[in-house]
Amino acid sequence: MERRDFLKKGLATGLVTCTSSFSLFALLGQDNKTYFRPPGALPENEFLSACIRCAKCVQACPYDTLKLGSVTDGKNAGTPFINFREKPCYLCEDLPCVKVCPTDALDIKSLVNIDLVHIGTAVITDREACLSLNGIRCEICYRVCPMIDRAITLEKHEQEITQKHTVFEPVIHKDYCTGCGICENACPLDESAITVLPSQRGDKAKHYQYLREQVKHKKGHKK
Amino acid sequence: MENFSRRNFLKSTAASVAISSMIGCEQKKTAEPLKQAAGGSSDQLGLEWDKAVCRFCGTGCGVLVGRKDSKIVATKGDPDCYSNKGLNCIKGYFLSKILYGEDRLTKPLIRKNGKLEEATWEEALDLIASKYVEILKNDGSNAVAMFGSGQWTIFEGYAATKFMRSLGFVSKDGVGSNNIEPNARMCMASAVAAFMRTFQSDEPMGSYEDIEHADTFVLWGANMAEMHPVLFSRIVDTKIKDKIHVKLVDLGTQFTRTSEEADLYLQFKPQTDLAIANYFANYIVQNNLYDKDFIETNTVFKRGQTNIGYGLKDGGADIPKDAEAMFPMTFDEYKAFVSTYTLEYVSELSGVPKEKLEEAARLIADPKRKVVSFWTMGFNQHTRGTWVNQLVYNIHLLTGKISKPGNGPFSLTGQPSACGTAREVGTFSHRLPADMVVANEEHRKKTAEIWKIPVEKINPKPGLHTVEMFRAIDNGKIKLLWVQVTNPFQSMPNLNRYRKAAQEKDVFIVVSDVYPTRSTEVADVVLPSAMWTEKEGAYGNAERRTQHWNKIVEPPGEAKTEIWQMFEVAKRMKLDDGKTLADLIYNYNPETYYKEIWEEYRSFSLGIGKDLAPYDVLKEKHGVVWPYVHKTKEINTKVDFTEVWENVENPEGKKGDDFISVKWRYNAKYDPYAAKFLKDHPEHKGEIAFYKAKGNDYKAVVLAVPYEAAAEEPNNEFPFWLCTGRVLEHWHTGTMTMRVPELRRAVPRAVVNLNPEDAKTLGIKGGDLVKISSKRGSVVFPADVNGRSIPAKGSVFIPFFDETRMVNEITIDAYCPISKEPDYKKCAVKIEKV
Repeated sequence: MERRDFLKKGLATGLVTCTSSFSLFALLGQDNKTYFRPPGALPENEFLSACIRCAKCVQACPYDTLKLGSVTDGKNAGTPFINFREKPCYLCEDLPCVKVCPTDALDIKSLVNIDLVHIGTAVITDREACLSLNGIRCEICYRVCPMIDRAITLEKHEQEITQKHTVFEPVIHKDYCTGCGICENACPLDESAITVLPSQRGDKAKHYQYLREQVKHKKGHKK
Repeated sequence: MENFSRRNFLKSTAASVAISSMIGCEQKKTAEPLKQAAGGSSDQLGLEWDKAVCRFCGTGCGVLVGRKDSKIVATKGDPDCYSNKGLNCIKGYFLSKILYGEDRLTKPLIRKNGKLEEATWEEALDLIASKYVEILKNDGSNAVAMFGSGQWTIFEGYAATKFMRSLGFVSKDGVGSNNIEPNARMCMASAVAAFMRTFQSDEPMGSYEDIEHADTFVLWGANMAEMHPVLFSRIVDTKIKDKIHVKLVDLGTQFTRTSEEADLYLQFKPQTDLAIANYFANYIVQNNLYDKDFIETNTVFKRGQTNIGYGLKDGGADIPKDAEAMFPMTFDEYKAFVSTYTLEYVSELSGVPKEKLEEAARLIADPKRKVVSFWTMGFNQHTRGTWVNQLVYNIHLLTGKISKPGNGPFSLTGQPSACGTAREVGTFSHRLPADMVVANEEHRKKTAEIWKIPVEKINPKPGLHTVEMFRAIDNGKIKLLWVQVTNPFQSMPNLNRYRKAAQEKDVFIVVSDVYPTRSTEVADVVLPSAMWTEKEGAYGNAERRTQHWNKIVEPPGEAKTEIWQMFEVAKRMKLDDGKTLADLIYNYNPETYYKEIWEEYRSFSLGIGKDLAPYDVLKEKHGVVWPYVHKTKEINTKVDFTEVWENVENPEGKKGDDFISVKWRYNAKYDPYAAKFLKDHPEHKGEIAFYKAKGNDYKAVVLAVPYEAAAEEPNNEFPFWLCTGRVLEHWHTGTMTMRVPELRRAVPRAVVNLNPEDAKTLGIKGGDLVKISSKRGSVVFPADVNGRSIPAKGSVFIPFFDETRMVNEITIDAYCPISKEPDYKKCAVKIEKV
């Protein structure tokens, strides 16, 4: 979805909700903020119409990860969302939030395995600030990743100045990244250099297949 | 800095503002200008920079410390330090923050009616001194003890050992106390014992530079990727430079971040490292891959005493008297001994597939390959720790791959001055400075002479080693314990016993520290201390590099240095002739005592191949490796190297210098002592000479010792192995790193790492709370099955940094009967979902 389309649709939704009691806030709430939804959420538009704002998922979350949109969140008021920097999703295997959803806005059928969730995709958004890329042996995002060595791997380059050390670059692999945000939460910088973005961002074009996709390539444990 | 652009200016200003606002509650003290050491300078932002060394692990990364007004507001890696060339890990990145946790101790505390209450220094010091005098007069010097650490500065360690061993001036028995131990006993005592038994001189022969020269790295029980992050990044760079040829072999009991980078990962059953090392030796011997000339000239074969016990009974009652004995044997006998460690037997015992064992053996034995072995706690914290250290020396000695660039056995250290303070100063219960021991009369004489005290005052009987020291508290034999710079009431194995003893027995406990810890919690007196650059200091790292720093800022509140604390207690200990203990042992000028202490201590090291650099040199240089050898006698007092000087290389200096910092000990090309030895012993072939091994005719010992079982192995009731250790983000008991908000957020709590298959069988999911129990207690941890560390099936791993969940409540206090180092890596536990 292009930004332009998004704005258009947002405006439309805003007009519709104008009839509701918090219409003014609804209009104010139409900014570019992305709401990251709990595991299994339907595509955003479908989710918004399916979600009945019952907050059961928020109550079910054992980690208090899920927050509830307030009146200032406009049409998102009463909907569950995640702020990764405050608390990421710990990917409970038994899916407590999904199970309690009365409307399938969180769709249990789409979730065969919690590891296949795509809340979003982590991206190194500030390469200049990233400590690992600056040669500090940090790589916290890599070590805290619940899909370590799959969703995040370390690419090794020689440290240019000393020519005796290695820069360990965290590289994110979208196929495995669940968007749980544990990396974003753990980044030791004041502003996280790794950020979860909407999954559809950076989706590759369907008209070309990379070489690595033609050869069987999977980085996994050596064990 | 001409090109200091607006952009850079803005960036750095923002950074320093951010850091100083983080610090908060600025103390308005007028800062004095830094006494500028080399490298000390101030920049455009008004930050004054001076050199120091990282406060954490034993790598000894050099740092530059930036002060603004009276605070340290920034640090940066020191590009002029050979040990790290300007890089740091994430702990080093946050170094400046460890000083400014919100709950720094700033006033002495005395326990009154069960509660720690603020007191004056006068009260606290008078109380401590009166307790010392009372107990020394009534019970003698064996009733007092001191427990310090590998984080003591060299100055502090020296002042402490002198203090304890001179208490004979006060005690009823007239001899000093040898009940002084560093926490290094729990850390690398096995490496010390093995170096001494093999080479008769402690510490590695090589240098970190070996990493650039080697092509084969063999890691034993060492997760270097996390525990020695900057050094590991050097190994990986060597791999990057030659991806095909360079090999990293990782031997361990769990799959770690190091295993992930390894070319070959051998996962063995706990304790079977003994058998694997013997198999490698067998492979070398059977395939005639040993260096005949080298072993002929430089080695002697011995067999060790066997069935040596585990120290599970108090006083080591289950340890045979001759546990340390080594008996001569021939090469053929040795060959027959190792021949029983066949590929089939060792594969079966260890669980390592045959092809992997053979592949590792082939790499290690290949005469064309340069091999460095690194190890840490997996080897040292081992009930056969001394043996397993020696078994790795065997491999290097048989192949002659030792004391040459890119070849050597290299024991890493986990603390910044495990080498500099614990080992070189000799703050162990049996040791004196420069590898000397209390049991040796000559050594006592030399010590007494330098200390200017009568030799009779030095107690010839070794004191209690760490585990027995804490057992003696429980048994009512130790009545006073002074803990400095460490946290034993979180880090002791079988912790419940020792915490209970501290709280219930009649023992007066003094703890000098910078933050409230699980040890200050059980103290009778807490002394607020200065840390790191709040005082002058020096540390010695794993490659024998001594690094000095100046005092850069004032400690907070009334906090004082440990040296000052010991001086003040000694001043309060009056002797019969009206003098005080301080008059006898701390007779230094208050203005220049650091230099005086250094030069006094340094005199122990000169002329014996342990030569330390003079104070002024240390102050100037960004770390100096010992032996720091002077060409002629005037400075090193004994040996004149003029005739060999021109033939010896000086990799950290230039040809023609009057001093050489020896990068590869025992190698005549780099070590003037070895060159001189070869000149004096023309019959000695080759370029390597173990010139310190006088007792073995200058030969190193190849030791035949068998596989013996661990002290406690899994059984029906406790079916899992427990291994403990560290993680990259936190250090030791977390007292510093858990106070850095960013590190705390990254890893907020200790978790139990489970093998995914075990977790499945037990119905445990990530995040579930799990109760881990041993014979000694139970602790609850959240489970982690994500794979950062994957223990072998049937085993679990738990780090020990978390003071809210102390894994040591369940670890076992069995120890190596030779090194007396406890085994934190193996005990039997059961796992239950809570």
